[in-house]
Amino acid sequence: MLFLQALLSGILTGGVYALAGIGMSLVFGVMNISNFAHGDLMMLGMYLAYFAFTLLHIDPYLSLILIMPIAFLFGFMMEKVFINRVIYHPHQNQILLTVGLGLIMSNTALLAFTSDPKILTTSYSSSAFNIPGGIFLSVPLLISFLITCGITAILSLFLLKTSTGMALRATSQNREAAQLMGINVAKMSAIAFGIGTALAATAGALIAPTYYIHPLAGHSFLLKAFTICVLGGLGSVAGAGVGGLIIGVVEAMSSTYISSDWKDVVVFVLFLAVLLLRPQGLFGKKGGQA
Amino acid sequence: MKQKFLSLIAAALLAFPLQASAVPLKIGFINSITGKEAQIGENLTNGAAMAIEDLKAKGIQVELVKEDDGGDPKNALAAYEKLVTRDGVIGVVGPYTSGCANVVASRADQYKVPLLVPAAAKEEITMKGYKNVFRLNAPANVYSSVLMKAVAPYKPKTIAYVYAATDFGVSTVKTAQENAAKMGLTEVANEKYQQGQPDYRASLAKVKAANPDLVFLVSYDADAILLMRQAKEIGLTPKAFLGAGAGYTTAQFAQQTEISNLVISATQWTDDVNWPGAADFALRYKAKYAKDPSYHAACAYEAMRIMVITASTAKTALKLQAALKAGTWNGIMGPVKFADYGGFTNQNNHPMLVQQISGAKYETVYPAQFSKKKLIYPFKR
Repeated sequence: MLFLQALLSGILTGGVYALAGIGMSLVFGVMNISNFAHGDLMMLGMYLAYFAFTLLHIDPYLSLILIMPIAFLFGFMMEKVFINRVIYHPHQNQILLTVGLGLIMSNTALLAFTSDPKILTTSYSSSAFNIPGGIFLSVPLLISFLITCGITAILSLFLLKTSTGMALRATSQNREAAQLMGINVAKMSAIAFGIGTALAATAGALIAPTYYIHPLAGHSFLLKAFTICVLGGLGSVAGAGVGGLIIGVVEAMSSTYISSDWKDVVVFVLFLAVLLLRPQGLFGKKGGQA
Repeated sequence: MKQKFLSLIAAALLAFPLQASAVPLKIGFINSITGKEAQIGENLTNGAAMAIEDLKAKGIQVELVKEDDGGDPKNALAAYEKLVTRDGVIGVVGPYTSGCANVVASRADQYKVPLLVPAAAKEEITMKGYKNVFRLNAPANVYSSVLMKAVAPYKPKTIAYVYAATDFGVSTVKTAQENAAKMGLTEVANEKYQQGQPDYRASLAKVKAANPDLVFLVSYDADAILLMRQAKEIGLTPKAFLGAGAGYTTAQFAQQTEISNLVISATQWTDDVNWPGAADFALRYKAKYAKDPSYHAACAYEAMRIMVITASTAKTALKLQAALKAGTWNGIMGPVKFADYGGFTNQNNHPMLVQQISGAKYETVYPAQFSKKKLIYPFKR
């Protein structure tokens, strides 16, 4: 019973981690940029969901219909104004830029929303499905997980079947060759960053009803998203999905069988082991870009 | 001629700047204004600010030098050293967290500038015999002992601990275990967690499997809400939830009626206690800051009031130390005296209160002489 409870809550929590990881991985794949503002973009998603709920009285899950296009536009503009200036520059410049943008976002949020954590309380915030055998599944987490699955499926279809999706993948595989084939790689970068931002904000909005909303809340998820990307293979969308689930389950298992105090240690030992044995990550291509 | 006259005036101003007014009284205040504990820090900031205003209205002028430690002991120590060496304060109120206060306390005797800790709970702070360290609030061991005294008449048998892996969490649970052993309680689960995680379900499921009578919790801020939500989700229903201060004593927590109802907590202060000025302080605080004061606000108010009143007559750090040691006060925190007892030095033997949430409101339920309501036991959803 304890095992099943841990496995199921691990998978559900891992689903939301996966969504955060996928957005980051997509940006890395297409643009070869590690986006250190990813956690802060999640935080923006949390606040958007919170204000949609408190001011407009829209359910946090329904508000995704509003949040996703807003976040996409925000990311698209951010790429056009800032990120594309460093795309061919050394990694340290890119890191400084994205860290800087993240700091501006989190500190602006601190000034605007203060450091009081906001709690989003819906009618189902603490309700659960009782599965016979004494296992309880959190309703908000389950909804989040199903939405994550839906979004991941739509994203895969988009990447595999549409011409824009194929152009994105081509840019991800080889930027120069894609450009020579007539793909507008600058536009693809902006689209990828827009989608990445929309996914980050969605992950934030999905976690908002079960977490607390705080200007610095994105930081703990940034480290997780980064771990998930490297674990799954940088740039691999499927890898990020699986990586997220693995981290979720490992965290839940180590809190159950070792101690919740030790779960980060277990996660990072696993992370180091994967890096040693499979440096390209679980789904990464050998000798792929870094 | 005109120039000569002006330079003469300038020289005169430079030479006698302080003759007209007395040397201003300078007091330092170290607090967590930013960082993880910033939300609670804000309560302390507000409480101290109200004390300064009240004293100004009574004609006591003071220059308060504020420092932010961001919840980091390194910064707290640097702030204390700056206050005593560069700013020349004669007394310091703060810091908020146990980790910060403990580090600063270790240097107070070296600089001989009295430190008045308003709300940090780690016992050690006043157990090392430091002459210049004073503490207003009750230390961590009282949190657990008063909670257990309140539920003792109902004869619980088993206890589980769920607590944040912080100085306050670990030291509170350590003394709780000693108190539980005295009461003959059997420990059936012990879950220490890292703050800020989205998922505590695995730990709570373990606690549920152990089926304890009492669940003893130590959490800050929003973690308390997350934990109690997830406890409800997985169906953890002990006979009592005992919240040791911090996150279980905030208005935000109480407002979450679905999860907060009947949760019992220990606190340094309530607004319905019969200590002089307590109710009036709560009213004025609410009018000024549009929220209910937490016990931290009351602690900071009283600590600042005691520090400034004492310093205004003592004038030097040395005399201030002696005056704090000798004095007694009676205000919104009840009777205050910095005494040496049970291994503590300069510790106010503050009587802690037990409160229970009923319909989003905290009601004092123990000790009987301070309370109007009775404890409800066992816990029901």
